[in-house]
Amino acid sequence: MTVDLVASIQAGDVDAFEALYRQHSAKIYTLASRMAGSPEDGEDLLQEIFLQAYRKIGSFKGDSALGTWLYRLALNHCLDYVRSRRAKMNKLTDTLDAETSFEPAARRDTPIARMDLERAVERLPEGCREAFVLHDVEGFDHKEVADLLGIAEGTSKSQVFKARLKLRGFLGKR
Amino acid sequence: MHPNETTLNEYADGSLGAAERAGVEQHLAACASCRQLVDDLRDILRATGELEPLDAPVRAWPRLERAIRMEREHATRVTAGPHSGAAVSDPADAGSYRTYATWLAAAAALVLAAVVGMRYTPGRRAEAPAVAPAGATASATAGGAAESIETELRQAEAHYENAIKGLEAIATTERSELDPRTAATLQKNLAVIDQAISESRAAVRSEPASEPAQQSLIEGFKAKIGLLQDTVALINEMRKGNEAGAARIVSGLKQKGN
Repeated sequence: MTVDLVASIQAGDVDAFEALYRQHSAKIYTLASRMAGSPEDGEDLLQEIFLQAYRKIGSFKGDSALGTWLYRLALNHCLDYVRSRRAKMNKLTDTLDAETSFEPAARRDTPIARMDLERAVERLPEGCREAFVLHDVEGFDHKEVADLLGIAEGTSKSQVFKARLKLRGFLGKR
Repeated sequence: MHPNETTLNEYADGSLGAAERAGVEQHLAACASCRQLVDDLRDILRATGELEPLDAPVRAWPRLERAIRMEREHATRVTAGPHSGAAVSDPADAGSYRTYATWLAAAAALVLAAVVGMRYTPGRRAEAPAVAPAGATASATAGGAAESIETELRQAEAHYENAIKGLEAIATTERSELDPRTAATLQKNLAVIDQAISESRAAVRSEPASEPAQQSLIEGFKAKIGLLQDTVALINEMRKGNEAGAARIVSGLKQKGN
């Protein structure tokens, strides 16, 4: 079926590409939005990723599932975006970290609502958000996160832990 | 002595070695604040594990489809040679229905292309130096940064306004394609967004350095562009006779209107 779908897309069948989009867009949009920390940027990334997939579908050799190929392409695109944004802002990292300091919300012992957590993740500072999303949400281990982000394994750990502590404050858990 | 936060995180993760774990457990039995921290970390990990995928906005596929069709059309023209541009026909020609839909899509995509890549972030000071040069005063640096932000904001504003103008022109010309109730919903939403833009613009004029005011103005522009994109996408779906696609977009518009 994958072979047929790929062949149809390569032959210019937009309906076949729409089928691929419908099957995978939620997962890709979710990854992009969380990595970028903004639904708007996530939507732009979604467009760019699927456009790139359309252009590169010919390079899909069937070595992995089509969904895996698409996920890797999406992940690489998100990482490029994050790196390029970080390059623009690297001189200001310390300042931004200071700027994103916050008054912890009053302590709440109610269960964490999904939307509250989504918004809190958006508020995480650059660096620790990407490590948190890759490790705690997407399930990569610290070694993989370090390789993906081009950082040391210890830095991945400290960024993830820092993110959790910040989330604790945002969510009124302290 | 309390274990450090890294150790407690690793304990909450379950990645601590047996000997260290036993030490932490001994400490937790006697320390309410560390116990609370570990409970909170576990709550966060549990909630994170239960996060669900987000739905992509309904307008995303029509936008993507337009871009793909444009790209294919462009590739065909390049292959066919310089005279193939004649495929863009007169919209008044009733027989060239599909070509006209393509023309409409192309026009919308050209406007959208102007917006792609323009990710303005209010408050971003990427170009401002992190450390003031020797001899420079703090106020001179702050003044320069403020000017740079204002210039950037003005450029972004002009950019968004151009994109909005282009989309409005398409949406206004083709609005007769929409049923009156949908057109009224769109009009109502546009009026609300216009009002918000007008208020934000006034706030930015009176306090140019205010980040919330800048943010709110840019959000207003983005909302208007999003709604106009939906409008053009809806007109396209209706022209193509794709009722399912049109229904999906209308459903998204109603949700936004609530």
